[in-house]
Amino acid sequence: MSSRQLGKVGWNALGLAVFVVMIFPVYWMVSTAFKTGPNIFSYSPKWLPIPATLANFGDAIHRQYFWQNVRNSLIVVVVVVTLSLALAFLAALALAKFRFYGRKAFIVITIAVLMVPLNALIIPLYITLSRVHEVNKLSGVIITYMTFVLPFAIWTLRGFILGVPRELEEAAMVDGTTRFGAFVRILLPLVAPGLVATSIFAFIQAWNEYIIAYVLLSSPEKQTLTVWLASFTTNRGTEWGPLMAGATLTAVPVVIFFLIVQRRIAFGLTAGAVRG
Amino acid sequence: MTVAESEVSLASRRRRRWSRHRVMGAVAPYALLAPAAVVLGAVLFYPLYLIARLSFEKYGLFELIRHQGKWIGLDNYTQIIHDGQFWRVLVRTIVFTAVNVSLTMVLGTAIALLLVKVSGVVRYMLTGALVFVWATPVVVAVDVWRWIVDPQFGILNWALTKVHAGDFFHHDWFVNPWSGFAVITGLVVWGAIPFVAITVFAGLSQVPGELIEAARIDGARSWNVFREVTFPLLKPIFVILASLSIIWDFQVFNQIWIMLDQRPSADYYLMSVYSFVESFRLSEYGLGSAIAVVMVLIMFAVTFVYIRQMVKAGEVR
Amino acid sequence: MADVQLVHLSKVYDNGVVAVNDLNLEIGEGEFVVLVGPSGCGKTTALRMVAGLEEISEGEIRIGGKVVNDLPPRERDIAMVFQNYALYPHKTVYENLAFGLRMRKVPKDEQKRRVQEIARVLGLADMLKRRPAQLSGGQRQRVAMGRAIVREPKAFLMDEPLSNLDAKLRVQMRAEIARIQQALRVTTVYVTHDQVEAMTMGNRVAVMRDGLLQQVDTPQRLYDAPVNLFVASFVGSPAMNLVEASLELDDGKLVCRIGDTVLELPSDLTAERPSLANYAGRRVAVGIRPEDVREAAGWDGARLRGRILLVESLGSEQLVHIEITAAPLERSDLVDTAAQLPGPSLGVDDSERSVTLLGRFDRHLLLASGEAVEVAIDPRLLHFFDLETGAAISRVGVPVATPVAG
Repeated sequence: MSSRQLGKVGWNALGLAVFVVMIFPVYWMVSTAFKTGPNIFSYSPKWLPIPATLANFGDAIHRQYFWQNVRNSLIVVVVVVTLSLALAFLAALALAKFRFYGRKAFIVITIAVLMVPLNALIIPLYITLSRVHEVNKLSGVIITYMTFVLPFAIWTLRGFILGVPRELEEAAMVDGTTRFGAFVRILLPLVAPGLVATSIFAFIQAWNEYIIAYVLLSSPEKQTLTVWLASFTTNRGTEWGPLMAGATLTAVPVVIFFLIVQRRIAFGLTAGAVRG
Repeated sequence: MTVAESEVSLASRRRRRWSRHRVMGAVAPYALLAPAAVVLGAVLFYPLYLIARLSFEKYGLFELIRHQGKWIGLDNYTQIIHDGQFWRVLVRTIVFTAVNVSLTMVLGTAIALLLVKVSGVVRYMLTGALVFVWATPVVVAVDVWRWIVDPQFGILNWALTKVHAGDFFHHDWFVNPWSGFAVITGLVVWGAIPFVAITVFAGLSQVPGELIEAARIDGARSWNVFREVTFPLLKPIFVILASLSIIWDFQVFNQIWIMLDQRPSADYYLMSVYSFVESFRLSEYGLGSAIAVVMVLIMFAVTFVYIRQMVKAGEVR
Repeated sequence: MADVQLVHLSKVYDNGVVAVNDLNLEIGEGEFVVLVGPSGCGKTTALRMVAGLEEISEGEIRIGGKVVNDLPPRERDIAMVFQNYALYPHKTVYENLAFGLRMRKVPKDEQKRRVQEIARVLGLADMLKRRPAQLSGGQRQRVAMGRAIVREPKAFLMDEPLSNLDAKLRVQMRAEIARIQQALRVTTVYVTHDQVEAMTMGNRVAVMRDGLLQQVDTPQRLYDAPVNLFVASFVGSPAMNLVEASLELDDGKLVCRIGDTVLELPSDLTAERPSLANYAGRRVAVGIRPEDVREAAGWDGARLRGRILLVESLGSEQLVHIEITAAPLERSDLVDTAAQLPGPSLGVDDSERSVTLLGRFDRHLLLASGEAVEVAIDPRLLHFFDLETGAAISRVGVPVATPVAG
C-alpha cells in the first residue's frame, strides 16, 4: 500500500476509536435498558443485551405520574417553541430592518443576556413567582424557559433575516404589499431554516432543562420528565434498569428531532459565526 | 425650460415631516420589540435587579413567609469574603472551568481535524456519534455516567481492573474529590466536545482550499499549515467557542447535583451549587444571592470579551 | 400610462452626503429615458426615490401629474426590475408573475390569462412551474421583466437589469427590452452605468455625475454636442481624445496651438463659436473623436505629426495609438477618469510632452508600431472646452442642454 493509503487507514482507525469512545455511554445506556436484571447486576459486564427484555421500559412507564410528566413536558415544550418563535421573529425584524434609537443597545443586551447564569436567577425567580402564586404551575416554568430561549432565537433569526436580500422585500412592496406584508409573505418563508434552527434549540432547552423545573415544580404530577428521572433514586438505592429505560425514553424525542435537522443546525450556527 | 418653478410652492418643496406614514414607520420597531422585551424584562431584568437587592438583605424562612427582606447592607458580602469556604469554592470553580474548557477546546478541535482526514463512511459515523451525544439531555448523561462509575456494577471499575491499572474493586469514585472531579470533568468534556467539534468542522470547511494548497506548495507541513493558515482564520470561532465554554462550564450545576444524589459534600461545591445550597437548603436566600451576584459579575467580565470579539468580527452592526 | 416628473429632487443622507442634487427631469408618456453615469453618481438613488424605496429629502416626484412623495411603493402603480432580479425564490415562475396581480386583488381567471399571455410572449410558457433557482440567467431576467409587464403599471423602473448577464446575452436582451418597450409604449426610466446601453436604448439620455445632472438629450446630440468635458469623455467608445492647447491671435485670426503644431481656425468655425474669441491668449481643452483622427494622405489641411505606439486590429477597422507632442489634460477631475488612456507625460514645456491619441483607421492600411505617421485634423471637427469649468465652448444655434423636454 502506498504511504498515503496507509495514512488513510491510520486516520480511519483513529476515527473509529474516537467513535467508540464517544458513543459508548449512549450505547451502554440503551443496552442496559434492554437487559434483564441479572445481566445488569453481574460483575463481569455483558456487552450485548441478550436476552433482551422490555421489562425495564414497562417498569418505567408504569410508574406513577409518568404519563402526566410526559404530558407536562410536551405542553411546556410546544408552548415555549411557538411563543418564542413568534416573539423572536417580531423582535428580530425590529433589530434587522429598522433604524431606531436604542437598537445597538438592545443587540448588545441580547448577546449579554445569553451569558447570565440562569442558576443565579433561580432565587429571585422563585421568590417572585411565589409572590404571585405562580410556583408549582407550568405557566411559571414556560415563561422562565422563554427567557433563555428568546435571546438566542432573536439573535439567530436576526442573522437569517439579514441574509435575505433587501431587494426581495422591495420587489414585494413595489408589487403591492405593505412593509409588514412583505415581512410575512416574503421574509418569513425565506428564513424558514432559521425558524427550524431556533425551534430545535428551544425544544432542546425546554425538554432538557432540569434545575428550574426542579425548584419551581414541587408536586410530582406537575413535574417534567427530567425531574421524573430523579425519582428512580431513593435511599434504598437506584433502580438502574428502569432508570436507564427512563433515561432512554427521555432522550428519544430529542434525538429524533435532532437527527432530522442536525445538518441545518450546524449550518445555522456557523452561518452566524463564520460570516465570511 | 424647467418645469415652471412657480408651480412648485415652497411648502411642497419642504416635505411634510409628520405624515402618518412616517410616524407609523417610526413606531413600528418599538411595537415589534415590545412583546419580547416585556418577557425578557419580567423574567430577566427584574430578577436581576431583585438578586442584586436580595444580596443586600437578610432573607431567611421568616422573611420568605412575610415576603419581605431585611436590609443589612454589605453584611452578606463581608460574610462571604471572610468565609474561607467561599474562596475555596471560587478557586475550585475557576480551576474546574479552566481545565474543562482547555480539554474541550483541544479535544474538540482535534476531532474536527480528524473529521477532515477520515473517509466518508467513518466521517458519517463519527458525526452521527457526536450528534447523539449532543442531543442527550444532561440529566440523562449524568445518570448514564453514574451507572458507568457505579462502585459495584459499573463498567469502568471492571475495565480498569481488567487492564491491571490497579485494584478498582468496589471503588467509589466520589470518596476522593480529586477522582470525583476527574469523573465529572470527563462527563462535562464528553458532553461539550460535540458542539465544539461540529462548529470547528463547519468552520474548517469554509477555509478556502487554495490557501492550504498555496501553503503546501510553499513547503509547509501539516502542523505548520494548521498553525500558520488554518488557526488564524478560525480565531474568531475559537474565541466565541471558548467564551461560551467558559460561561457554561463556570455555571455547571446539574452534573454535580445529580451525580452526587442531590447531596454533594462541601468538597464538591462549585459556585452555582454553593449558592443553591445556601439558599434552598439553608434558607439563607440573601447569602445565596450574594454568591450568585459574584458569579454574575465574573460572567459579565467574560461576556465583555465575547461581545467585543463579536463587535470586532462585524456581527453587531 | 403616465409621465414622470422629477422636480428639484434632492437626497441628502444623515451623514451629510448629497447623493442627488437638485435633479430636474421630465420623462414624457411612453418615453424611454436612461439615467447613466459612473457608480455613485446618484442615478440609482434617484430611481429608488421614484419607486418610493428611498425617502425624498427635497423636491417632488409626480407620476401622471400627481405628487407621490408620501405614497408607499404599492400605491404608486409602478413596476421595477431589479439588478439581481429579486425573484421570490420560494415561489414558482407562475407565482412570481402573478404576485403583483394577487396583491391587487385581480380576479383569478384574469390573473391566469395575463400571466399566460406574458409567458407566451417572453418564451416562458413551459417554465411556469419551475423555481427561479432552476432557471438560467437570461430566463430569470425575462421573468423579472414579465413580472413588471404583467401588472400594466403607469411606468417601468429598471435598475441595471442587464449587468449580471454575459456580453452576448446582454446585447440580445438590450434589443428585446427596447422592442418590448416600443411595443407596449410604457413610460420607462432605465438606470445603467454602461454608456453603450444608454446610447442604444434611450429616446433621451440623462448623464449624471456626483448627484448632478450634466446633460439630458438625445443620444446623437449628446455625442455631437456634449455640454462639458465629462459628458464628452463619458459618451462614446472609444473615448474622445482630449488635450490641452493654447489659442492665440495671429494677425487677427484665431489659431490653435497643439504641441508644436499650429492649426488655423477657419472663419466659419469662429463665427459659429463667438465666445471662442474670449479665449485668445489662454489655454483651452480640445477634444477630437477617434473616428475623426485620420491618416493624412490626400489631406491638404492641418496635420499632426506623431509616432505609432500600438495597432489594435479589430478586423473591421484598426485602432491606432499615436504618440503626439501635446500637453495632456491636467484637470482629471473634469473628465470621466475610467475612459482615459494612460499616456506618457514627462517634460516641462509643450514641445517635450506627449499625449496618446486614439484613431480609427481603415482596415486596409499597413501600419506598424514605431512608424512615424501624419494625422489629418479638420478643425471643424474639434470640440473646445473651458479649462477651468470644463464647460463646452459651444456652437450657437445648437440648443444647449435642456433638463426637460424642450
